[in-house]
Amino acid sequence: MNKEPLFRLTSVSKSIGGKTLLDNISLQIEAGDFLSILGPSGAGKSTLLRLFNGLDSPTAGTIEYQGKPLFSYPMTGLRKRVGMVFQNPVMVRGTVRDNLLLTQRWEQPSTNLAEETLVSVLAQVDLSPAILDQDTKTISGGEKQRVALARVLLNKPEVLLLDEPTANLDPQLARRIVRLIHQLFKQLKLTIIMVSHDYSLLSKYTTRIAFLIGGRIVEEGAADILEQPSTETVKTFLAKGAI
Amino acid sequence: MSQSFYVITWTDVLVSFVLVAISLGLIRWWKIGLEKTLLIGTLRTFVQLAAMGYVLTFFFQQRHWLFMVTLVSLMILIAGFEGYRREKEFRIPHYFVIITGSLFFTVFIVLGIILKFILDVQPWYYPYAMIPIAGMIIGNALNSTTLTTNRFIGELQHRDQEIEMLLSLGAPARVAVQDSLRNAIRAALIPNINSLMMVGLVQLPGVMTGQILSGVDPLIAVRYQIMIMYMWITTVIIVDILVLAFVYRQFFTPRIQLRRHLLLKKYP
Repeated sequence: MNKEPLFRLTSVSKSIGGKTLLDNISLQIEAGDFLSILGPSGAGKSTLLRLFNGLDSPTAGTIEYQGKPLFSYPMTGLRKRVGMVFQNPVMVRGTVRDNLLLTQRWEQPSTNLAEETLVSVLAQVDLSPAILDQDTKTISGGEKQRVALARVLLNKPEVLLLDEPTANLDPQLARRIVRLIHQLFKQLKLTIIMVSHDYSLLSKYTTRIAFLIGGRIVEEGAADILEQPSTETVKTFLAKGAI
Repeated sequence: MSQSFYVITWTDVLVSFVLVAISLGLIRWWKIGLEKTLLIGTLRTFVQLAAMGYVLTFFFQQRHWLFMVTLVSLMILIAGFEGYRREKEFRIPHYFVIITGSLFFTVFIVLGIILKFILDVQPWYYPYAMIPIAGMIIGNALNSTTLTTNRFIGELQHRDQEIEMLLSLGAPARVAVQDSLRNAIRAALIPNINSLMMVGLVQLPGVMTGQILSGVDPLIAVRYQIMIMYMWITTVIIVDILVLAFVYRQFFTPRIQLRRHLLLKKYP
């Protein structure tokens, strides 16, 4: 078994147009972690998340994946292994099926997905097969988010990056989606990195927490640091409640 | 060429100034206040076109292929510069090279086919054929590339989230922008296809009108026009595909990341 961490970020910084968004971040993520990155909006959480699948590059510092520089992997292959679900689940025009079969646009035709595969991935995200031929314009926000999840799962990823996947959903639905994500985490033995500003939702499921405030990781550790944060910045952030 | 039926003299042209005089009278009567501008415009038309006539006469007297090829190259270079200037709102890397290179390729291919295989002009650089046809191809190609590039950038701005979603699923850049490419080329093609549909039904095209006025048999004029229409559509398709094939690559890094900053206007 490889003892290298899954991801290793060393002194990673990111600035755009002279503005520092991420400042000297060092972080290790082990396979099987459910890491929640918490922090107020504008703290750089999404910017950080986009580095893990190479949608952006850091301005300074290095990122390693399984012991090798992240950008030494062919990007298209890496992004299948490190899947991402965005805050706003973008659907391409057409039916749910069209969206699930998106990868067919560039994969070899031999990888044609069987109907059973689609039905079973829908079951994993708690959707009925009846939705397959519905136009994505007619499905709800919660359903879209689950279709987006299913779309990523079809790539059989090792890691799931989740960028506030519940931000646009009502609290009840948000809880349901987080529960679902946790189920997938267990069932598929995924590593999950999830960004959120709402820690109350995650405390039950997450295995590790990192607080990202003002572009810096101010505190990081097991889930229980939510109960006893050691830095004043995090205490202040938590005292304000879910923003 | 058959003989011109109606030779128009400089005196005739001066008489046509009566038309402008009528216009001047009308705008004066209605106090629109553009007399001076209209007068300057009228004079400029006269001077610029008269000068152009002499320049063309000089060009048409040249009988060396190198001169003709240099002249057409110069026309392409000017068009490339104009295309680059029109795109000043956005910073597309290497755009001048892309547009000029694409124009060079397209113009010489299409021009070659027409001069050699369709008209079979002797010699192939015969200026009476080469210069006007090259001018038409370049002008049309330039307008079309401007249209298609602008539309492509518009599509990227509108679909940036969709493109990044596709990239995050492992799509290559080309696939992530496939719909944007298609829409951009369609937008530039549709006006041309419409004119293929409507030509001759509503308006007689300019080239044909000019030829008929100068005494060419309408059936010959029509054949020319048909060739020109086919030439236009082919030019537009080749040049647009070529330009976009290079332009879309400018919007991605070698790591297949969307270069979002290029989608922002230079002067907000």
